[in-house]
Amino acid sequence: MPSPTQAQIAQLAAQGCTAEDWSSVSLDGRADLTRLRNAHFRGVVSVGANDAAVSVDGLDLPCGIYDAIVSDCAIGAQVRIARVGSVVARYDIGDGTVIQDVAALTADAGSTFGAGTEVETVNEGGGRVVRLVPELSAQSAYLQVFRGHSEDLRRALARMVDNAVTTARRERGVVGANARVLHCGVIRNVLIGPHAVVRGTALLDTGTILSCAEHPTVVGEAVQARHFIVAEGASVTGGALLEKAFVGQACRIDKQFSAESSLFFANCEGFHGEAVSIFAGPFTVTHHKSTLLIAAGFSFYNAGSGTNQSNHMYKLGPVHQGVFERGTKTGSFSYVLHETHVGPFSVIIGKHYTNINTPDLPFAYIHESEGQSAIIPGMNLLSVGTVRDGEKWPRRDGRRATVRRDLISFGVFTPFTVEKMRAGRAVLLRLHESTPKDKASVQYGGVFIKRLLLRKCARYYAQGVTRYLNGKVLERIQASSSETSWDGVQKALRPGAMLRDPFSWTDVGGLLMPVERLQALEDEIIAGSVGSLQELGDRLSVIAGEFAQDEWSYVCAAFALENGYAPDAMSREQAQEMLAAYDEATGALHSAIVDDSKKEFAAFARIGFGLGMTEDERTAEFTAVRGSTETNSVVQKLMQEKVALAERSERLAQLLSRF
Amino acid sequence: MDRSEIQKRVTSVVASVLGIDPAEVLPASNFVFDLGADSLKSVELVAGFEEAFDIDMDADKAREVQTVEGAVDFIAQYVK
Repeated sequence: MPSPTQAQIAQLAAQGCTAEDWSSVSLDGRADLTRLRNAHFRGVVSVGANDAAVSVDGLDLPCGIYDAIVSDCAIGAQVRIARVGSVVARYDIGDGTVIQDVAALTADAGSTFGAGTEVETVNEGGGRVVRLVPELSAQSAYLQVFRGHSEDLRRALARMVDNAVTTARRERGVVGANARVLHCGVIRNVLIGPHAVVRGTALLDTGTILSCAEHPTVVGEAVQARHFIVAEGASVTGGALLEKAFVGQACRIDKQFSAESSLFFANCEGFHGEAVSIFAGPFTVTHHKSTLLIAAGFSFYNAGSGTNQSNHMYKLGPVHQGVFERGTKTGSFSYVLHETHVGPFSVIIGKHYTNINTPDLPFAYIHESEGQSAIIPGMNLLSVGTVRDGEKWPRRDGRRATVRRDLISFGVFTPFTVEKMRAGRAVLLRLHESTPKDKASVQYGGVFIKRLLLRKCARYYAQGVTRYLNGKVLERIQASSSETSWDGVQKALRPGAMLRDPFSWTDVGGLLMPVERLQALEDEIIAGSVGSLQELGDRLSVIAGEFAQDEWSYVCAAFALENGYAPDAMSREQAQEMLAAYDEATGALHSAIVDDSKKEFAAFARIGFGLGMTEDERTAEFTAVRGSTETNSVVQKLMQEKVALAERSERLAQLLSRF
Repeated sequence: MDRSEIQKRVTSVVASVLGIDPAEVLPASNFVFDLGADSLKSVELVAGFEEAFDIDMDADKAREVQTVEGAVDFIAQYVK
């Protein structure tokens, strides 16, 4: 692009424009000089075509540069820069962007834009540091945070991150095409992705806002963020405070939420409360005031109001940490003293001053009883809430970017949770055998279990295991209904490529996989055959794609242990027995869930209804507000499922009788 | 086992699980409204009855039992 001619310089000067050196300013041939007013050029500046209009707050305004100092910038086509308080410096500004009413937008040479920021997650005392990079995923972060046992692995991962940080280093900032930067305070060393909307921020210092046309990112009113990366489709607004934080795809951080040294992966939501040193895996949610989530790893976690955790015993510093496995909930004003390790899909109610260690007791209620921490293992298997959770997460995956960095296993009942139920059942039966009848309770993992519940809760786990394993085998039998012989069905029940250890599964930041797959991946990372974060993501995608075959491998092995014969060695008579056992377990659990859902319409649920009314009016008012079991969609769906289960069972019985 | 023995054991289990005086456990007492049994305690009560009478109760039907007298009637079906 040519520099302006003398005539053009004269015109620009008449419009209040100046330049340190007009020969360092270049103008696109389609640049309309009338649209450069009170523009001051310093260093090397190029200006693209500006003959179009752009939409700002619902108004079509002309492109161009108005009342702004622009220093060392490359300005794309159809850009509007207006009313910049101090300067726009060292930025490449993409086509179609708007920068208006901004205090300052500057970048330092050599900035990494937040990449390389050390985030002390999970353990506030350190040792579980993740360095921010734009490519960060829940899985690559998990490896850095929770797999520190191997020095070789740590080094190999560090090399990958080093490379990513080096790649992120730039001499100038970028505002991507079609971004909007409006009504903001100082923005320093921030990469702004295409189509991002940055509106009304108070301060953005050293970070990256990833964004894309498919899912623009919003960083909004009164946000103060330092050393951060915000991923595509996220919304950070409402006076949120970020300090050394990663906000993943489609996350929502709002309503003055404060996060320090924390990572939030896909679909997390944080309102009102505070997070310090947390690894918030996918779907971690905290909506209410007075929550403090600190020094812990979560996923699919829901924190009730006033949830509080502590990691500091005032001895060696804040060195304690917690792990709430996927699906955990904490009730209002619950308190947990780290160290903590809670099994998946547990509910924590009340205040707990003991160190809870119950990873093998999934679906548990952990509550206060007579001032002590008590647990009812498996109780959450009977909760309609668990069913609703399992259904809602896939629906609430709000990511629209074409690249979804976090890999998410959504299922509630998986080899990971079912194997924990099998382990939990063994624990409970062992405790039942060894506990004398004159003891009211027994201690396990820092909590008390009522002796009476040991056998009962073991039965819940047994029902859960049978429902899952037999259900998976029956799915395969149903899928092979075209077979003409039992031999053909048995072939369909053969295990595929068996895992060496099909029983050991792990949750890698929201992605479930056999432990041996994780170990093989780590070997590849150490050997260098997986040498970049991109390659790591690709390998993890392959592992995610192998879930179905790995799950079947687990089902075959666990079914054989439970029943004494493998699915493909099962006789027709044994298949019929298996179907009966499935019906019994499924029926029992399903009935309990239906009853649980109906409790929402029982007398205690009507206490706040019908003020000053007769009993009949109270019932009518309750029904008007809440509906009834006959009209509630969840209850009705459960009832329909009950019918569907019976019909399916009948079809399976007929199928089995054919052979 | 006669009905009075069933009644006696039911009362004992209820008092023990709910931590109340056996004298407060009356035949007409509603587990939830009169005796304060929440859903967690209800699970414990069923487990207590199963152990006291060495039976496995139908969980579906057990959840329908509302009163102490109802529990006696329900358990009587098993021990007979």
